[in-house]
Amino acid sequence: MKQQWFQRTGLLLRVNARQNRVKLTAWLVALVMGMLVIAASFSQIYQTPAALAEIAKTLKTDAMVALFGPVATPVRQTVAAAFAMEMPVFTALILIVMNYQLAVGSAREDEDAGLLELVRAHGVGRLAPLLATALLLTGLNALIGGLLGSGLQLIDMPGATTSGNWVLALGLASTGWAFGMLSLVCAQLASSARGSLMLSYALLGGMYIGRMLTDLQNPQLTWWIPFGWVEKLGAYQAENWLPVGNYGLFGLLALGVALGLNARRDLGAGWLPPRLGRRRASVYLRGPVSLVGRLHRGSLVAWLLASLVLGGAYASVFNTIGDLAQSNPMIKQVLGTAGLAAANRVIVKNFLAILAIVLVVLAAIPALQIMLQLVSDEQKGYLHQLYATATGRWHVWASYTGWAVLTGSLVYLAGLLGMYLVGVQSMTDPLHWSTYWHIFTAYVPAMLVMIAVASLLTGWLPRWRALSWAWLAYAFFSMYLGKLIDLPRWAQRLTPFGFVDKVPVKAVNWATNVWFFGLTVLILMLAAVGYRRRDLAQ
Amino acid sequence: MTTPILKIANVQKNFGPVQALKKIDFEIYPGEVFGFIGPNGAGKSTTIRVLLGIIRASHGTATLFGQDVWRDSVAIHRRIAYVPGDVYLWPNLSGGEIIDLFLRLNGQTHSARTDELIQKFQLDPRKKARTYSKGNRQKVALIAAFSTDADFYIFDEPTSGLDPLNEQTFQDEVLQLKRRGKSVLLSSHILSEVEKMCDRIAIIRDGRIIETGTLAAMRHLTRTTVDVRTVQQLPELAAMAGVHGVQAHADANHVSFAVDADQLTAVMQYLSAHQLVSLTTAPPTLADLFMRYYAADGTRSVEGK
Ligand SMILES: Nc1ncnc2c1ncn2[C@@H]1O[C@H](COP(=O)(O)OP(=O)(O)OP(=O)(O)O)[C@@H](O)[C@H]1O
Ligand SMILES: [Mg+2]
Repeated sequence: MKQQWFQRTGLLLRVNARQNRVKLTAWLVALVMGMLVIAASFSQIYQTPAALAEIAKTLKTDAMVALFGPVATPVRQTVAAAFAMEMPVFTALILIVMNYQLAVGSAREDEDAGLLELVRAHGVGRLAPLLATALLLTGLNALIGGLLGSGLQLIDMPGATTSGNWVLALGLASTGWAFGMLSLVCAQLASSARGSLMLSYALLGGMYIGRMLTDLQNPQLTWWIPFGWVEKLGAYQAENWLPVGNYGLFGLLALGVALGLNARRDLGAGWLPPRLGRRRASVYLRGPVSLVGRLHRGSLVAWLLASLVLGGAYASVFNTIGDLAQSNPMIKQVLGTAGLAAANRVIVKNFLAILAIVLVVLAAIPALQIMLQLVSDEQKGYLHQLYATATGRWHVWASYTGWAVLTGSLVYLAGLLGMYLVGVQSMTDPLHWSTYWHIFTAYVPAMLVMIAVASLLTGWLPRWRALSWAWLAYAFFSMYLGKLIDLPRWAQRLTPFGFVDKVPVKAVNWATNVWFFGLTVLILMLAAVGYRRRDLAQ
Repeated sequence: MTTPILKIANVQKNFGPVQALKKIDFEIYPGEVFGFIGPNGAGKSTTIRVLLGIIRASHGTATLFGQDVWRDSVAIHRRIAYVPGDVYLWPNLSGGEIIDLFLRLNGQTHSARTDELIQKFQLDPRKKARTYSKGNRQKVALIAAFSTDADFYIFDEPTSGLDPLNEQTFQDEVLQLKRRGKSVLLSSHILSEVEKMCDRIAIIRDGRIIETGTLAAMRHLTRTTVDVRTVQQLPELAAMAGVHGVQAHADANHVSFAVDADQLTAVMQYLSAHQLVSLTTAPPTLADLFMRYYAADGTRSVEGK
């Protein structure tokens, strides 16, 4: 009887892998190559013992601990150790995003599209589709772990050891895998793909904030947070395989729960019962603008809250970070009270310059989502009937584009506001709102360029719209990690964010802003032309 | 004759190398219910998408109300209502919200007529579109279309998911539109529906319109089936021009056969000369017509002419 539940899993797995082969290969190549290129370049970045000592000191500052996790003491000053301290949190985030997108994509999107109903009508076990997805993720992560490990072996960074290479590679792969399994649980709880992703990311966000707080207060507590385990690998230092085992158990447990929930759930439903809607539309729902607003109302509120909370969480550690006197009491005598306050402020502003990137990338996600939904709504057939009414294409295009711009800006503003509000409470010498406002005015124009390019893709090359996501991911990489690993200037400038000077440490460059605005308007005009003249799907 | 509402002349559409529409011409006049039939993949939906300005014709011209369907699509859409074959609705809006939205997008409002239609089609407007069945999604689109006061209605297989009761409601509503002098384009695979409601019909196959006309005129092109009993034997019948498929029955002098319309008179004279006992004739049904035109072999469509 049991076997009936999983009948044809193998077949589904093969179909699944074939269907997603482009996506899978793209992720695999981008991740493994990216990671190995960085590893290979590390010995160039840290050529001298002095450079290594410098980075070890930098990583020990609270700001860096908040971003990259705590540092082992005593720290071994080798290239490999620097790599193992800088990379895990960032890489784990990217790996988790990959696992989330693939897991929900194959576990829930097919179901939403009604495809699964067809599949299940054949001699396919009830749990087979879910198990096939889980196996696909397992295979992919195992492959990533294997390739990373072998790659690190080949590159052989100064100070690297075989066991260190493997604990790092398998540790990262197991993190991604475990969170992939976790999102399979979320996919059973929510009633749509979008809801599943929202739930998954909310859990990740909560854990990310949690680990930042515990890392700064008491790193031992980070063991309570699954996302924090990846910081405990200690590759090339005091190696620890416990996180790998933990992730294995965590993932298996999650998979068990997901299968259990799936077996009890109706196809196409979630655990939350569907609610009845309105009998008549509200007076506000009258055209494309209000329609797009109405459709994204829920997720806009969620994003605003998430951004506000994340901003606030970052700001709650400003005081710890901007307290030079804590680590070096002498400094107060040297600089004097006013001088110390100014020096502290510079440190916080440097930290802010990185957070500005984190938050703007975060804000760009819902913006791009809305922008690209113009194509997916068209392909799902939702717009078909809309276009048969007296609604012009320009109007619809402008509604999606307008909401994308507005959402991106508002979510960014919410994050900065969260920082400001908590900063006022937590800092002895709080930053003025104008600092945050400068960040806003510096980064929003760059974000607009990215939204405009996404819009251009919807108008001219709808099939290639996923490039927007790749570009954003690269922007995140080049700005979050790029500064630390000395990415060349041209490589940083492959995204508009690379042109923004280090605000708020430096002043807002209005010439760049004007330039960006002009570019945005130009690209949007082109996009509108393309969208008006192309054939629509369906 | 009055000027046509819809005029589509030599329209072609290519999707890359695929030629989906090769030559489409027809006209629809005010107050006319026009049937559009043809096998799967013939190009019905593609033609309708061209008419709606959702895709652009590669060649040819198409006008509605004398305006170009691509350039003036928004102005045209103010005066039309449309129901697609596959209705996809925003999953988290309720049926009631979607109906109101579609009405408002055409500058109209929820009226008593809308409520009446919701009643007639028995739709629960409070359910989210996610939870609607195929038929219920179709009803949402139908209610929005029928309560729109338009001049031209386009239906692309509108009843493929409806139960017989709701299909009857659909037919009643279309006949009511006809009485009010509206024009309708109805694409359908349900031939009885087309037969009952349409004034004129176009048959499309493989991207070409192969026949246009009234059902009566089309019938004229095909064979009538005849079942006859006579007193005397009918030895020459099988050899007569225009007579096909003669089948003798068990009882004496009882045969059935099919006869081409243009030979009907001659055959009838021959039969009556042999003293009729009973005679029943059946006009060709649309289904008979269809089988002839749909058959993959292109030459057969001209056989009846
Ligand atoms: N976007 C497209 N790209 C390529 N080919 C297409 C596209 N849309 C339609 N076709 C092709 O055009 C032809 C006509 O399709 P269409 O949907 O108009 O058929 P139909 O008459 O409505 O059929 P059905 O009765 O099944 O609804 C088909 O062969 C189809 O494969
Ligand atoms: Mg069709």
